[in-house]
Amino acid sequence: MLSESEAKVLRAISIGHLDPKEIADLTGMKIEAVRSTADSLSENGFIHVEKTVEEAFSLTPEGELYAREGLPERRILEVIGEGMPISDLKDPSLKIGLGWLKRKGWASIERGMIVPATEAERGEDERALSMLLEGPIESSHLPKEGLLLLKGRGLVTSVTSKSWLYRATDAGRKEGSSAGITAETLTHITPELIKAGQWVGNLVSYGERTYQVRPYDVTLKAEPIFPGKRHPYQRMLDRMREIMLEMGFAEIKGEIVQSSFWNFDALFQPQDHPAREMQDTFYLDGKADIPDYSSIKSMHESGGEIGSTGWGGSWSPDVARREVLRTHTTAVTIKYLAEHTDPPVKAFSIDRAYRREAIDATHLPEFEQLEGVIMDEGATFANLLGVLKEFYSKMGFSEVRFRPGYFPYTEPSVEPEVYIDGLGWVELGGAGVFRREVTAPFGIEHPVLAWGLGVGRLAMLRLGLKDLRLLYQSDMGWLRETPLSTGI
Amino acid sequence: MPVVRLYYQDLEELVGASREEIMSRLPMIGADIGKSAEEDRVDVEFFPDRPDLYSTEGVARAMRGFLGIEPGLPSYRVRPSGIVMQVERSVDLVRPIIGCAVVRGLAFSDPAIESLMDLQEDLHWGLGRNRRKVAIGVHDISRVSPPFRYLAAPPERGFVPLDFEEEMSMGEILKLHPKGKGYGHILDGFERYPLIVDAKDRVLSFPPIINGELTRVREETKDLFIDVTGTDPVVYKALNIVVSALAERGGEIESVIIRREAREIITPDLAPTKRLVNVEEANGLIGFDLTAEELALCLERMRIGARPLDDRSVEVQIPAYRADIMHSWDIFEDAAKGYGYDNLEAKLPVTVTVASRHPLERRKGEIREVMAGLGYLETMPFTLTSVKVHFDWMRRPRCGETKVLHPISELHDMVRTTILPSLLEIFALNQHHPLPQRIFAVGDVVEGGRTRTNLAAASIHSSAGFSEIRALAETVMRELAIVAEIVSSEDPAFLSGRGADLLIDGQRIGCFGELHPLVIKGFGLEQPVVGFELRVGGL
Repeated sequence: MLSESEAKVLRAISIGHLDPKEIADLTGMKIEAVRSTADSLSENGFIHVEKTVEEAFSLTPEGELYAREGLPERRILEVIGEGMPISDLKDPSLKIGLGWLKRKGWASIERGMIVPATEAERGEDERALSMLLEGPIESSHLPKEGLLLLKGRGLVTSVTSKSWLYRATDAGRKEGSSAGITAETLTHITPELIKAGQWVGNLVSYGERTYQVRPYDVTLKAEPIFPGKRHPYQRMLDRMREIMLEMGFAEIKGEIVQSSFWNFDALFQPQDHPAREMQDTFYLDGKADIPDYSSIKSMHESGGEIGSTGWGGSWSPDVARREVLRTHTTAVTIKYLAEHTDPPVKAFSIDRAYRREAIDATHLPEFEQLEGVIMDEGATFANLLGVLKEFYSKMGFSEVRFRPGYFPYTEPSVEPEVYIDGLGWVELGGAGVFRREVTAPFGIEHPVLAWGLGVGRLAMLRLGLKDLRLLYQSDMGWLRETPLSTGI
Repeated sequence: MPVVRLYYQDLEELVGASREEIMSRLPMIGADIGKSAEEDRVDVEFFPDRPDLYSTEGVARAMRGFLGIEPGLPSYRVRPSGIVMQVERSVDLVRPIIGCAVVRGLAFSDPAIESLMDLQEDLHWGLGRNRRKVAIGVHDISRVSPPFRYLAAPPERGFVPLDFEEEMSMGEILKLHPKGKGYGHILDGFERYPLIVDAKDRVLSFPPIINGELTRVREETKDLFIDVTGTDPVVYKALNIVVSALAERGGEIESVIIRREAREIITPDLAPTKRLVNVEEANGLIGFDLTAEELALCLERMRIGARPLDDRSVEVQIPAYRADIMHSWDIFEDAAKGYGYDNLEAKLPVTVTVASRHPLERRKGEIREVMAGLGYLETMPFTLTSVKVHFDWMRRPRCGETKVLHPISELHDMVRTTILPSLLEIFALNQHHPLPQRIFAVGDVVEGGRTRTNLAAASIHSSAGFSEIRALAETVMRELAIVAEIVSSEDPAFLSGRGADLLIDGQRIGCFGELHPLVIKGFGLEQPVVGFELRVGGL
């Protein structure tokens, strides 16, 4: 039969408290009492005691002084320089270093002069000294030779640390449980237990009873939950918007329904251009109001007054009045430029454009377009390349190269390509300087650098999609499970 | 864009350089090299503004300049053939313009014939607007006897068309011959059709539809007669492109007299066009810093004749086959290509500007933050929808929609005026995923032709009810500082007494409520749905 104190200590040990100090805290016993009780439990074979003794060393006050300022022999070396008469060495705290100086072979004494040897390597004793400055260190962790020297000079003193570790044996666990001393397990923590329970570690005494909080297997998976969040594609668009703002562009917006005038004619697209045909463009029933078109008409027919040939033929205002769903956001851009002819203008838009395309995995009748323009005095094609490089690098493409391109309303035109691992060089967007035939009719007298980008293609790459439709007719599973960090 | 098939061996012979050298520099004159290169050939896309590159010969000519093998203006000798093409007044209405040439001394290898046929087709597309503006006929001249006549003949007139063995009338050709069916619409409404015949009234061509079988080009063909007809002076450009390409193959060009009553012109006219360009203007546009001599060298690499007149100006001669030079900036672009886009130094502009976010986008950002905080997932449905889904399935009367004239399918025949129907469609696509599902979208709608911005949100689960959506509507309006009157709605999309309208100054700016079970069923759904829509801005 166990005594009351033996039962207490055994209980504490069997629920995982292995250290005498912890057990003393838990039971309210004195630490010495815990130790002697444990010894008797150990004699009965209920617990196993592991006692560890380790010799450690710490610095004596003198040792600490030397650890900070250096050993006297080291300091003499610093004082004597090239050599010094021994009589000049007055400081007694240094003099005691003379013997060591010679013994270590750091200097010799010739005709009353201290003459330094060529080398005085840092010794193991000095290394041990500086290690010990941090606090006591077990002897096994100190350089052996160095420790011996320091011990000999009385610069260190030995301290011994002891520790105990208790574990219940099978017999102890059996004895404990037959004595009914294991704690009850607890699953839910109630407000009452928080307020009135006596907590020690995972154990709580409440009223007459003691409970232990049941540990969980923390490696088990939880039921997934998903936050409400922005669409992955929208996050990409937002990042692109942010990039344009970082680069000093102002955002512009415009109508989805546009006249052919702004969508095509203002951009010097000839009226018989294939892109204007019904199979490529969504025409609407309406006829739009168009601005004074005399300068556009003469530009198309005969090149206006800028030395261009124009397209020839005759330009019809009726064709220009036909309404369309904008086939590019450039319709909005040129209108904005026509209304803002004073330099500098730096504007961008990220909005939807519409093309009459049959839907499949890589073609959609509507898609997002990013477009940026810079109109400024003295702006050059080389500036456009500079802006493109910066833009693509912010988008995460560090390698960009430029190849000639063709767009009906820019000259010169360029197709930027970016390097993508696994794909190689990929064409991404188009750019150029607006033709004079485009800018002159609106009185825009400075070069307009422009570039645009169909964002869908980039989204497919970045979001790992094989089918563009997923962006617009989204699968809820994909929306829920695509992490915020995906994309740009 | 036109795709030109280049056979490496043929190209190497025409250029005088290795395929590696040619292919590594080719993109830098403006070309998209296809990924599917074969052992002996590669398909390359060229741009619509450069029809002179739609043949192996044209590409070789450009590359000889670009690689420095033969820079400067190519010169072509044109000798008179003495052959007359008599143009009758009858073609004035239907297809008035014609240019002709003779090219002799050709040796037709397979790649040469293929290149010529492809060039013809690409020009029909690129310059000819599918043969309406330009159509090209190529004939073995040894089979016919000049002088030739270009006239408009009645549909009964017959001949044996290419690839056929029996004579057909022109009317029959339009109905039965594949080319007739393909291009006959160009002649719609005309009573007489264009025809080219020889001195013995034998048919060379029925432009823009089909040639006669008689003058078919065969491997043994040495001398060609070329006719280009159309409705626009670009006809002559097409003729120049074809004959100069054949001359690159070693052909000798001879001119033809085009006689129209008393008036005569001689085609082809391969004289270059002269222009003067300003060096400072070129430097200012491109951003390089070239002297007149350097600018001239860059242009010569692009096969433009260029001679510095002084420090400030260069006289240029543009080859007669170039169809894209309208303005001096077109020449400057060529200079930039000649300089090499890869040699240009990319420089950021130095002007300081102030950025600004569009207020509407800032608003949309706030909305997304609120909706995500409320646990709603964002969706981005199409703005194109159909009358059926948008109005019929929603039980709503048609109102304010923008219809497209020629929808590509009945799924997309209008632009949405509201977003809620699109959310119900998304629910329908996601019925295999666990409920509840709560989604929103904020984006453009077009009402009465004007672009507006709406927010819509919807929730589907077995206990979705009015109080849930009312709480949502109130929360969103509180967060967005929108104060609206909430009144009972007549909207047939909602159950009567379970739908509300949001009014500001009597104007309806939104609505919310329990969707009518007939709407729910209409979308193929089986669980209660509540929805909310709010106008959040306009331009």
